[in-house]
Amino acid sequence: MRPYFLYLVAGLLAVYVLFIAPSVVNLFMDDFSLLIISAAAVPMVQIILFVFFFYMMLVPISDTLREARTEQLEIFLSAPVKPSDVLLGGFLGRIPIYAIAITVITGTFTAILNPLGLDAVQKIIIIVVFVLTLLSAFWIGTVVAAILRTKLGRTVRGKDAGRALSIFIALPGIAVIYAIIGGGLTDALLNPTTSGTVRAILNVLPSSWGAEIFVAFASNPSNISAVAFETLTRFGGLIAFFIAVLWLGAKAANRAYSLESTTFTASKANPDGFFYKTIRHMGGGGSSGIVLATIFKDYSRKLENISWLVYAVGLVAMITIFLSDPFSGPRGPLFFASLLAMPMLAGLTVGTVSRGKATLFLYKASPNGVSRFVKARLLQSWLVAVPIATAIMAVQTILVPEVTLFQLLANVLLGTLRATVLIALLLGLALLIPVFAEESRERLLGVMINLQVVVFSTIGLEIGFSRAGLSFMKILPSLDPYLGTVFDHLLQTAIISFAAVALLYFGKRKLNRIE
Amino acid sequence: MMKAIIRTEKLSKHYGAKGEIKALDGLDLEVYEGETFGLLGPNGAGKTTTVRLLSCIIKPTMGTATVNGYDILKDETKVKSITGMLAESPGLYEKLSAYEFLEFIGALYEVPANVLKERIDDLLKLFGLDDRRDDLLEGYSRGMKQKVLVAAALVHDPSILFLDEPTSGLDPRAALMVKDLIKKLAETAGKTIFVCSHILPIVEELCDRIGIINQGKLIAIGTVKEILTKTEKKTLEEAFIALTGGVEEKELLAWREHKAAVA
Repeated sequence: MRPYFLYLVAGLLAVYVLFIAPSVVNLFMDDFSLLIISAAAVPMVQIILFVFFFYMMLVPISDTLREARTEQLEIFLSAPVKPSDVLLGGFLGRIPIYAIAITVITGTFTAILNPLGLDAVQKIIIIVVFVLTLLSAFWIGTVVAAILRTKLGRTVRGKDAGRALSIFIALPGIAVIYAIIGGGLTDALLNPTTSGTVRAILNVLPSSWGAEIFVAFASNPSNISAVAFETLTRFGGLIAFFIAVLWLGAKAANRAYSLESTTFTASKANPDGFFYKTIRHMGGGGSSGIVLATIFKDYSRKLENISWLVYAVGLVAMITIFLSDPFSGPRGPLFFASLLAMPMLAGLTVGTVSRGKATLFLYKASPNGVSRFVKARLLQSWLVAVPIATAIMAVQTILVPEVTLFQLLANVLLGTLRATVLIALLLGLALLIPVFAEESRERLLGVMINLQVVVFSTIGLEIGFSRAGLSFMKILPSLDPYLGTVFDHLLQTAIISFAAVALLYFGKRKLNRIE
Repeated sequence: MMKAIIRTEKLSKHYGAKGEIKALDGLDLEVYEGETFGLLGPNGAGKTTTVRLLSCIIKPTMGTATVNGYDILKDETKVKSITGMLAESPGLYEKLSAYEFLEFIGALYEVPANVLKERIDDLLKLFGLDDRRDDLLEGYSRGMKQKVLVAAALVHDPSILFLDEPTSGLDPRAALMVKDLIKKLAETAGKTIFVCSHILPIVEELCDRIGIINQGKLIAIGTVKEILTKTEKKTLEEAFIALTGGVEEKELLAWREHKAAVA
């Protein structure tokens, strides 16, 4: 299979560009035609291209930050090779992978323009515009990634900071996408009173120059002379930008490949203050309290973990702001909590069982160590997630117009209860299918699989209840709709808690048997 | 008559669907109270498997063993309480300080709080880590981490110590310190020490008796003198190579001679 992989990918890309993309575009051609001549065209394409530019730049950065390793640098630096050649080699070596994304994006946009009757020169310019824009982004990402790897990869602390950064670095991009989907961003850009700064920023970005050429050609098919000035300045600007970033990147290579130490300061642990003393008490004091406090310290001192929490809360906030209208009734926050917010919070809080098997063996070597470990991990996850769940539910319910105190308290209680139960369920799942990975991306994969299992099971439970007529409102039609939802929610939480107990039991057994 | 504090009977650990990989194959062994016993063997011989079985971290496929009279299958908790272990690839909570890590290990072994603090202070002083007690372990060198781990194996004052490659990664001074400490623990504290290593001089110097293990089987046991007599070799290194089958220096450098001939 491996020798034919390249041909297979090339063939699939050709099929996409020549057949699939034009067919899909044809389905929406009427809408596209209207959009492309509207006033929204330029800002819309500017934003779309900016998002592609941003993500193309982000991929190498995020990839490096997740696992900032400097071991290979020693080999490069000890060999008679220039740092700029190493950087360029890394860039060229990865281009085949990025070329797939570039081909798909460019193919889709040329498919949009094709029915409009552009001439060959216009088509070629559009293709070059996309390739230059996306390659510039990828090159900038490669250079920044190389510098960050050198800066962060030499210390454990730096690596941790890198992992943390790799998680929420994607949030601004997600915010832009949600803002587009939510519809508010394009409208805002069309409003001259609100769009001044954003438009000014967008116009400076090279991705916007490409967007302007795209819209200019779409409005003047086969008539390049009508937009000659725009084409020359924007296209020329793009070429100049690409050459400039290549040159600057090569110049920065020396800085990107340095193993000179930057710091010798060691992080210190402060004596336990009120917070950790309280945690010890909550863990039952004595030995159990110490074990809980230890697990809590290990969790909270890793920036990566804190970053996951920020990511979860940020995502919930963005979905609330951009994708859902303010909840019109008190039932809204409950649905949102059960279907998305709480599973996500629980999944990202629990994470994986432990970084490596070796840590687990510390517990296995001690009397009843595994039981203590499971109890402490459960308590620690609850202590982290419960306050956040409470805050999310309180804020979302307070935003509901004319909400009563009872509804506020009930929502907070039910949401928090759901988070508590889901934590147990996800921990059980993480114990049952343990991922002992040192590498951040492997751990992330494990977390995402468990998260998907829980999100889809919860949605399945909701749909299953609805299909089976297991709704309190159907059983007792005179019941207040809000109370009906509360009882439905409680029943589902009870079912999840049974599953959680079972998973924890089998998960603990699995952990005991791991060799 | 010396009391056998560790006794294994046909202790075996097999891996694979049909148990075709025999990590440990019918080990019969006795280790006496208060002695320092060394288990020697090449990489993958079964040393770590033996220690993990005796510490109840993994379970045998066949056979059993007793540690101070406690069965490793039936009295797991008792065995764990009286043994301390330094693993070959130990897990460290790198975001804890040395003090916090030792406190955590002490808590796992239920060391009373009033005893624990004093013992950690003593161990940190003993290992020369007192001035960096509050530094996070992520900033420690490999040797310093190893010292913390040796201290962790001692924090609950176990009567039997399993040390898997105790001087691995240590600088000569730290290795000498650990060696002296092991000697002292055996001589003055009366502890039984089970050392696994492939560093022959360490085992030779420290151990009252040694066992040589290869491909999961115990192929020799006795004092160094007894093993040398049995193999008719002058050094433990020669005896070890003779017993486990090694590559001669001549063979290793054969490629150079070949290269010279071609040139």
